[in-house]
Amino acid sequence: MRRSSIFFLLTALKILIIIALFVHSRIELSNRMTLWKDLEGIVSTLKLTDMALFTDARYARHPTQADLFSAFQDYPGSIEHFPTGTIVPPPEFDSVETVIKIK
Amino acid sequence: MSTEIIIETANTTKIFNKEKPDEVIAVNDVSIKINRGDFVVFKGPSGSGKTTLLSMIGCMTRPTSGSIYVKGKDVSHLPERFMTMIRRNTFGFIFQQFHLIKGVSVCENVMLPLYPTDIKPSKLRKKAEEILHNLGMEGRKDFPVQRLSGGEQQRTTIARALINDPDIILADEPTAHLDTNLSEEFLSIMRGLQQEGKTILIATHDPLVYEKDYINLIIEMRDGRVKNIIGKQ
Amino acid sequence: MGIEKHRNILDYTLLSLLRRKFKNIGIILVFTFVIFIVGSILFLSYSFKREAYLILKGSPEIVVHRMMAGRHELTLLSYMKDIIEIPGVSKVEPRYWGYYYDSMTKANYTILSMGETVMKTSRLLKGRLPEINEKNSAAIGKGVARARFIDIGNVFSLQSADGSQMVFNIVGIFETDSELMTADLIVLSESDFKRLVKMPEGMATDLAIYVYNETEALTVARKIRERFPDSRPILRDEIIRTYDAVFGWRSGLVLTLFIGALAAFIILAWDKATGLSAEEKQEIGILKAIGWETSDILEMKFWEGLVISLTSFLPGIILAYLHVFFFGASLFAPALKGWSVIYPEYRLAPFINFYQVATLMAITVIPYIASTIIPSWKASITEPDIVMRG
Ligand SMILES: Nc1ncnc2c1ncn2[C@@H]1O[C@H](COP(=O)(O)OP(=O)(O)OP(=O)(O)O)[C@@H](O)[C@H]1O
Ligand SMILES: [Mg+2]
Repeated sequence: MRRSSIFFLLTALKILIIIALFVHSRIELSNRMTLWKDLEGIVSTLKLTDMALFTDARYARHPTQADLFSAFQDYPGSIEHFPTGTIVPPPEFDSVETVIKIK
Repeated sequence: MSTEIIIETANTTKIFNKEKPDEVIAVNDVSIKINRGDFVVFKGPSGSGKTTLLSMIGCMTRPTSGSIYVKGKDVSHLPERFMTMIRRNTFGFIFQQFHLIKGVSVCENVMLPLYPTDIKPSKLRKKAEEILHNLGMEGRKDFPVQRLSGGEQQRTTIARALINDPDIILADEPTAHLDTNLSEEFLSIMRGLQQEGKTILIATHDPLVYEKDYINLIIEMRDGRVKNIIGKQ
Repeated sequence: MGIEKHRNILDYTLLSLLRRKFKNIGIILVFTFVIFIVGSILFLSYSFKREAYLILKGSPEIVVHRMMAGRHELTLLSYMKDIIEIPGVSKVEPRYWGYYYDSMTKANYTILSMGETVMKTSRLLKGRLPEINEKNSAAIGKGVARARFIDIGNVFSLQSADGSQMVFNIVGIFETDSELMTADLIVLSESDFKRLVKMPEGMATDLAIYVYNETEALTVARKIRERFPDSRPILRDEIIRTYDAVFGWRSGLVLTLFIGALAAFIILAWDKATGLSAEEKQEIGILKAIGWETSDILEMKFWEGLVISLTSFLPGIILAYLHVFFFGASLFAPALKGWSVIYPEYRLAPFINFYQVATLMAITVIPYIASTIIPSWKASITEPDIVMRG
């Protein structure tokens, strides 16, 4: 077989795998629709605001409830929570249009 | 054999680094005519302009002034694309250093000139194998070229020069790296090709070459000029 | 001009690449690894982002904290009757929550209670939640259960603020599927919570505000700020955007891994772009001398770049997908876990952001092809007569 044919075949094979993964993604996502609805239910019942991904620091457990403007708010650069501190940046409320000011 | 003029140079001049302090007039006002089927030798001391003239004839570089006609067509002012086309269709090159592509088999090296054409690879391979067979190289066709002996490399180079079935074969110092036996063998291959009707142009200062009686044109050069033309019929 | 010519050139390119097998396989391996790492980060962060978006839609529309001397302070329940008066507010509820450090397991739990229980059971909850005034019962997250080796029907104790041990019956455990949100939770009744942390009457941790019309949330928040200058309203919008930032490209997670991978890629491309070896230059000269056009040489270089980059990119992306969505991003787990004792088990949802994947392709494949073609440009346009002179 020609070398170019082998190359095209291998490339086509990889593209097929990618298509298969895409189909997997679609099926998996549609299977999870009810899970998300249920999770949303739990979140609204318990009035949760954050994911339980990092439980080693306050600002990391509830990044949305942390803030930048309090003095001495735990800052992600603090070494004692490495590596979580490098993963969770300070909340970026500045960049959000919804800064709440008193007129 | 016809006496069609296959190559003609008219006042061909090549100046390197023109109008700079290190200006070199490599070829100076050369006008020669070569007939189809000629076996031509360019001889002359080192630096006399043989290689330069050969590369202009072979459409590898353009003359600074003057013209070159190949099969009656002025090739000296063609755009690059057309020069390449003429090079690919008309000429076969045999270089002094062989210039084979390392790591590639003998057969692939021979096929190389015709890769960028629409030829089917199976057809191309058959053609290459046939030429290699004629040169007694069929046992070596799948060898990587860097493991060949000097003579085998030379024959591979010849095969590569023949893959496009050229009318004209250009060889620059082809015997410089060969011993007497191999040089003789090379020349007899060239002689055979001449008898098939191809035109052979060899630049050399090897007496072994220019003393052969089937050479019918010896062009002697010195300092870029043609010093002497000896025609034997 | 037929297609055959281009295939022939590709044939030769592949032959030529195979000559330097180890070098080219090395390049492909590094390239694949770079794509794998960057692709994994993209898949992982995008999946978290999308899940946060889908799940946190259930969060309160506004959460109001009270600040005192630059600290988060308990909120007065008396704020509630003023806030409910604000036009557009449909409901105000207190939230009771905080943290509990368990010195035995060295784990941090999130303790909370809800007001009235609307939902008592869920598919994601084995058992039930404690009633509003039910004594000594708790529903816990799977992570807590794992850390304390307890199950539904068992009891466990927490130390209350006055030093006494409070014993709780486990009436519910959140299912594995919900761990991303519930792993470290201990849900108590309101009265037990207040007793445990000794919260004074008339106080709550913060307030959850609901509005009739989501678009008015900002206006309501502004009015709350005006009425209570010591308050800090947080909009649900901001909650979701925070997660966008945590898993955005500027976050530490993405940046740390990204920079390493990028450096590797730049070294790779740099090595290419800094020029051809004498041998490669001569090969180009030979090809030209024996009848290849400049465009043929450039086409060969194009194929070379394309073959290497596609042969790396596609497997890299495939491996990244498998890594993140089939093997739970196990390579990144140590960084994600950090020092946490409780860590949720979750299966990431395979969200694919085509824009990101296409961008990744564009910023790797195209520069790589360019860095292959450009250095050979000069060699390929010079007149081939140099090969006549060795
Ligand atoms: N690219 C170049 N730039 C400047 N000068 C050049 C260049 N190429 C050749 N020359 C000069 O042109 C002259 C003719 O060179 P050429 O190679 O044609 O001679 P030659 O007859 O083939 O010599 P030899 O027998 O040694 O191969 C020499 O003086 C050489 O130095
Ligand atoms: Mg010479």
